[in-house]
Amino acid sequence: MLDMVLTTGVMHLTVGNLIMWLIAFLFIYLAITKNYEPLLLVPIGFGILVVNLPLTFLMQEGQGLLWKFYHYGLEWEVIPPLIFLGLGAMTDFGPMIANPKTLILGAGAQFGVYIAFFGALILGFQIPEACSIGIIGGADGPTTIYTTVHLAPHLLGATAVAAYSYMSLVPIIQPPIMRLLTTDKERKIKMRQLRPVSKKEKILFPLVTVVVICLIVPASAPLMAMFMLGNLFKECGVVKRLADTAANELMNIVTILLGISVGATMSAEAFLKPQVIFIFIMGLVAFAFSTAAGILLAKFMNLFFKEKINPLIGSAGVSAVPMAARVSQKMGAKYDPKNFLLMHAMGPNVAGVIGTVVAAGVFIALAG
Amino acid sequence: MIDWNLAVRIFSFGLGAVFFSLAIVIAAIYAFGKIFKSIEKKAD
Repeated sequence: MLDMVLTTGVMHLTVGNLIMWLIAFLFIYLAITKNYEPLLLVPIGFGILVVNLPLTFLMQEGQGLLWKFYHYGLEWEVIPPLIFLGLGAMTDFGPMIANPKTLILGAGAQFGVYIAFFGALILGFQIPEACSIGIIGGADGPTTIYTTVHLAPHLLGATAVAAYSYMSLVPIIQPPIMRLLTTDKERKIKMRQLRPVSKKEKILFPLVTVVVICLIVPASAPLMAMFMLGNLFKECGVVKRLADTAANELMNIVTILLGISVGATMSAEAFLKPQVIFIFIMGLVAFAFSTAAGILLAKFMNLFFKEKINPLIGSAGVSAVPMAARVSQKMGAKYDPKNFLLMHAMGPNVAGVIGTVVAAGVFIALAG
Repeated sequence: MIDWNLAVRIFSFGLGAVFFSLAIVIAAIYAFGKIFKSIEKKAD
């Protein structure tokens, strides 16, 4: 009888397991009741829950089911590029092509990545770990995961959850920074309506961009190539089936595998460490500085350009598509209900994705 | 021990690559835009 009881998981439960259950329930609760990134927090929360059930061995190397998802999906670098394929098929680069200056804002918003990188180094993290923490500031979940798997796989759970948590908190984190760094007059700047972008330009964009970016930073190729392929599917108009599959069915499948694999890395032994708190703090620092840098760069550009840019769109350079652009729109409309910034903010928003992939490529090339 | 030289190299090359690559993309967008416009004008 005693032997039978000992074979149950109940006898092997630890306090750490129970704490992780609470975290899992919190994620699932936030996803269901607050709608915080539900597509990811539900599978991540569930992954955390089941990996912290003793004796299930779901993450046992070579045998566990979730280990197989993690190993072949993330360690083999399959899932993040496939997510980028779907993102490309869902992204409209039109606003960015219509106003290419906004690409600079997407680059400027990468400053936070490097501030968090140095912050993590000062806190005692090694260079590859600091790269994985810094990239959280790019506010791009798949890029954060891709970089962390390459450079510091033991931090995967913490960096992925920090990235997705802060992405869902964009409407809370960004507005105070936007208010602090802009004047009333600047928030009311109206931007000229964007020109229509031809189909030829939209088709050429992914082709030119993949060549340029991959020539300059070859390590960014897996993500950039898939991103631009997905976009080419969407824009060329002759492979609608592929574009639809990449943006819907495939995206949904890999999202399930991504979420549960990330959750499965968060066992009590791996997650309940003081350094995880530092990762969350540095992630927030990265996010805040990226937001600030985008806004300040827009203000700086206004010193030179005749056509003024509303600095509120600078904050959208932190990727987090399209939530960051929506925050710019909402903030602009609050100060002038006739000011429509959404399409203008989409430019830096999608440029931020490209900028973060380039930053990640350099991290992997130099620190890997 | 942290290799600060490498850290500074990562920072300078990383931020440089971000700005440089996006600047080339901007230049390419403008260049192709002009080419398309001139082709359309000729066609008219």
